[in-house]
Amino acid sequence: MIVTGKIWCFGHDIDTDQIYPGKYLPLTDKQEMSKHAMEGAAGGLEFIDRVEKGDIIVAGRNFGCGSSREHAAVAIRGIGVSAVVAESFARIFHRNAVNTGLPIVVFKGIESFKQGDMLRVETESGKMTNLSQDKVYQGTPVTPLEIEIMESGGLLDYLKSTK
Amino acid sequence: MTIIEKIFSRAAGKDVSPGEYIWASLNLVVMRDFGGPNVIQEYESKFGDRPVFDKERIAITFDLHVPARNEKVAVNQKFLRDFAKRQGVMLFDINTGVGQHILLESGLVKPWDIIVGTDSHMNLLGAVGAAGFGMGTTDIAGAMYKGRLYFCVPPTIHIKVSGSFKKFVSAKDLILFILKHLKTDGALNRAVELSGTTIEKMNIAERITMTSMITEMSGDVGFIQPNSEVITYIESRNGEKIETIKPDPNAAYEKTYEFKVDDLQPQIACPHSPDNVKSVKELSKTRVDQVFIGSCTNGRFEDLKIAAQFLKGRKVKQGLRLIIVPATMEVAKESLEKGLYDIFINAGAVITNPGCALCTTGHPGILAPDEVMVSTSNRNFIGKLGKDAEVYLASPATAAATALAGEITDPNEV
Repeated sequence: MIVTGKIWCFGHDIDTDQIYPGKYLPLTDKQEMSKHAMEGAAGGLEFIDRVEKGDIIVAGRNFGCGSSREHAAVAIRGIGVSAVVAESFARIFHRNAVNTGLPIVVFKGIESFKQGDMLRVETESGKMTNLSQDKVYQGTPVTPLEIEIMESGGLLDYLKSTK
Repeated sequence: MTIIEKIFSRAAGKDVSPGEYIWASLNLVVMRDFGGPNVIQEYESKFGDRPVFDKERIAITFDLHVPARNEKVAVNQKFLRDFAKRQGVMLFDINTGVGQHILLESGLVKPWDIIVGTDSHMNLLGAVGAAGFGMGTTDIAGAMYKGRLYFCVPPTIHIKVSGSFKKFVSAKDLILFILKHLKTDGALNRAVELSGTTIEKMNIAERITMTSMITEMSGDVGFIQPNSEVITYIESRNGEKIETIKPDPNAAYEKTYEFKVDDLQPQIACPHSPDNVKSVKELSKTRVDQVFIGSCTNGRFEDLKIAAQFLKGRKVKQGLRLIIVPATMEVAKESLEKGLYDIFINAGAVITNPGCALCTTGHPGILAPDEVMVSTSNRNFIGKLGKDAEVYLASPATAAATALAGEITDPNEV
């Protein structure tokens, strides 16, 4: 998949309480959940107000650490984010993203990206092009099995289609 | 091979190494009162009323918002009870306690098991040599359907600890001290094995404290090789002979860290990160409004007993609120029988029903802006227990000493 969007920068250790505050955990409607994506992070309210479909989140180390809530990945995708690029991802968030079809790419040099830059991400190869700076970067994509799961429409459809 | 490599090799039916993706059968699939409804919705939207893979191997535990704190939660809990009845799966209702502890007490966990659940602290089951993985809604729905999931075999970090604790220093101080050094991403996508003379001597409660906080260093799973006390406990609960687990002598670790505890002082994690750790002495005189003793990390009888040693015959500082929550009803019962409830009530504490309690905003007792709490829980993320509130993480001894003094206090100074 190839996605293009405006970059929103966040810091290191963005935990799931910042991505999706615990007080919204009882929500089960995905549209309602999406209204709170990144609400607890610094700059989160501006993000919710101004994010556009296709935009890309760029963050530092250990994105999605903390609780196991899948709400975090679901809300980010639901609000229209097309991919998350981070220096590293917490395991549970990584799985939740793959299982629900939110593209992620690991990339160690995120400091070269600026808020508002236009970024193109090739999720299968990990190749990224910063269209605003006209530079190309190589990130680490997820594994072939995970791409297969994402292409099936997520884990449940994948399991349904396999013996 | 390390412990996780042994578990995954047996599950995959071949020798596996770190970085490899495998499919493994699951011994137990668990969901909670929060997250659980999302799992069922996801399951039923995809698979309708198709029976789960094995109703004997699925458990629903109510521990977060118990009893239901509002109508939305009540509806969610009813939804789970109805599902459990329809499908015949196990349900541990609001009168039981923290899910993982209930599974341990019920004999549903043993060494070698692979267990997945919607709680990020599932890995505390490594305290008895089981591989517990916290996972999201879709994984758990898929697990319920297939009884199998994919896993990436993680490299293992080895943490060796030697020496004897000073008075009033415990497992919680040690794991906070380790976090200070490894930081919140120090075990990211890694398994952790804890060993050494200090660890070997630990009882089950201390082992749970250690492994529960592997989550806070972003570890996948954490293990302590079971000793004979652990095996005896599991066998008494499970009713069967148990096979223990240990790493091979030549197991390959990605990294080894060594710690000595002889000089370790009581430790405390400052707002707003579990790795922002200082010695309790450095923080002394910090004003505190509320103290919480409990959680999956420090809610066992042994933890409450330490608190009781401090609180016996004394009063909590005027104006400070002390909330004590046993992890399970079994812990509550033992505490009641052994006189701990009397001690706590006479000291001026509030004791609430077993459960996760003040780990997130779901439970009564959250803080007003600018209030300060010392908690024996495992996380102090910003906003987790009330907007602009400050949470410090410490041992039951430090928490109890602080409750008596009204300010952060080294337990040796009471």
